Amino acid sequence: MLPSLAWKNIWRSKKRSFIIIAAIAFGLWGALLAGALMMGWGESVVNTAIDRDLGHIQLHKPDFIRDRELKLSIPSGMDVIRHIREIPGVKAVSGRTLVEGMAASAASTYGGEIAGIDPERAKQVTDIHNLIVAGAYFDSRGKNQIVVGKKLAERLNLKLHSKVVLSFQDVDNNLVYAAFRVNGIFKSESSEFDKTHVFVKQTDLFRLLNTAPIVHEIAVRADSSKLMPRIAAALKSSYPDLSVKTWKALSPEIAVTAAAMESWSYIFIAIILMALIFGITNTMLMAVMERIQELGILIAVGMQRKKVFVMILLETLMLSLTGGFCGMILGGGTIFVLSRTGIDFSRFASSLESFGAGTTLYPFLPVEMYVALVAMIIAAAALASAIPAWKAMRIQPSEAIRRF
Amino acid sequence: MALIETTGLGRVYNEKTVPVEAVRRVDLQIEKEEFTAIVGPSGSGKTTLLNLIGGLDTPTSGRIVIDGTDIAGLTPEELVEYRLHHIGFVFQAYNLIPVFTARENVEFIMLLQGIGKEERRRRSEELLKAVGLGERLHNRPNQLSGGQQQRVAVARALASHPAFVLADEPTANLDSESTASLLDIMAQLNKDHGMTFIFSTHDNRVIERARRVVTLEDGMIKSETPVE
Repeated sequence: MLPSLAWKNIWRSKKRSFIIIAAIAFGLWGALLAGALMMGWGESVVNTAIDRDLGHIQLHKPDFIRDRELKLSIPSGMDVIRHIREIPGVKAVSGRTLVEGMAASAASTYGGEIAGIDPERAKQVTDIHNLIVAGAYFDSRGKNQIVVGKKLAERLNLKLHSKVVLSFQDVDNNLVYAAFRVNGIFKSESSEFDKTHVFVKQTDLFRLLNTAPIVHEIAVRADSSKLMPRIAAALKSSYPDLSVKTWKALSPEIAVTAAAMESWSYIFIAIILMALIFGITNTMLMAVMERIQELGILIAVGMQRKKVFVMILLETLMLSLTGGFCGMILGGGTIFVLSRTGIDFSRFASSLESFGAGTTLYPFLPVEMYVALVAMIIAAAALASAIPAWKAMRIQPSEAIRRF
Repeated sequence: MALIETTGLGRVYNEKTVPVEAVRRVDLQIEKEEFTAIVGPSGSGKTTLLNLIGGLDTPTSGRIVIDGTDIAGLTPEELVEYRLHHIGFVFQAYNLIPVFTARENVEFIMLLQGIGKEERRRRSEELLKAVGLGERLHNRPNQLSGGQQQRVAVARALASHPAFVLADEPTANLDSESTASLLDIMAQLNKDHGMTFIFSTHDNRVIERARRVVTLEDGMIKSETPVE
């Protein structure tokens, strides 16, 4: 009967209860939306990096990441690529021949990384081909084509079909100068990446490097990120002499950013709940003070003080959970819609690009966060009920009755 | 042995600042089946005496023995339990839980005692019929008159099978008709079931119906009419 009594007591003052429930609901709605935006932003940063160049997993010769020397190519790299394609769960594999060099135009010069790729294979692993803003990705027949980032194009004053001279060392340490024509200009979410990366066909690079086909980096795309750990483990087992790293290890700052977004979501929700605790406490204190005589009589006729405490606690819990569920429905519904439509932040594009995030964010919250939210609401309600319940428990019947 | 016996009972408030002796050296014996009114002007100590007998307050001095138990020595938690099983209360106001029906209010005491659902239902119906509210089981207090609410309070007070019922100014907020009706029911319960009623009142309508009147003045017993 206590839960029934508590529920009925909440609705004795409908207006007051509706106000506090609405406050909790709208407060949580905002908190959930903000949390979902943060999570969406974190995921955008991760997905952007994976789509742009990281892939899910990369393989290198162990010293290559540090030294990035031409001679540190993956032994029998092409065979390794063919084998990896056979692993279940692997969606696509792309080998990259990487050279540090300079790009020069009539206007200026700039240093960066020259990536030799197989365009058709690369399309399956990254999405540079979808980011072309001028020209085309690569023509199948043309030689010495180059695709450059928009930031680099601006710096070197390059347009479509402009000539750009790449200079680098070949396998015999001879300096090579090669003229390329701009076939396409891409714009990714990272202006820094656009400034420092150019793409050429692997076949052109092999010829200029004076080498048989070599690869320095193998990028692997899994069917889903859930399969990534299993595939990475399989690759480590198959290639113990190679460095096999997931995107988290390759780009720990992005992994930290994504994890931080989840933590920040929880913190933000906790802050909102802490603020709501004051409102809930105030409401329940009013409810207790209004019922001093009634509570005093209940204790007089034999209701144990701890039952009075539990009754107030239950009232607070029910009030908070009602508001909480309303907030979750509002928040969850809004997030569901926005996770499909996305929110356009293109007016903040330059800021977002410096963090490597896309301009359309898709808010989301994992299911476990809703479960955690229920636990947080219960904890907040218990905290909010402490003072009112204590006050109710300490009522002296003889004094309460004297108030008539 | 008397049902209730107080010996040298005293209660002082504000002992450390401005002491007020609300009750002093009260020796009182109340037998079973009494229908007794404790009367006196405001400030005479009626309510304090009733609170002491009812275990709602602890005496500063003296003893209170109810049916062989010295309740002055009980802890606050023990007193709550004692009241639940041995004493019925009817107060001037705020007797009932507003969100419960008449039946639920009567059942509530039995629920606190741990009595099962069927027994609670049966007894609450029986008691409400006994106070003339058999047709009002499902009405909430705001759907009942003042007199009807007090009758529900009487039913609730009897629900726990108490040794006696303490009624503190039960008719203070009632009109004549409701007062007469309430007193009729209490008198009937006293006569037919031997229930002991002790009133604190300055309502002449109650005093006239009492079979014994104890008059307090300045916290002491000034006079007592004989027990009939």
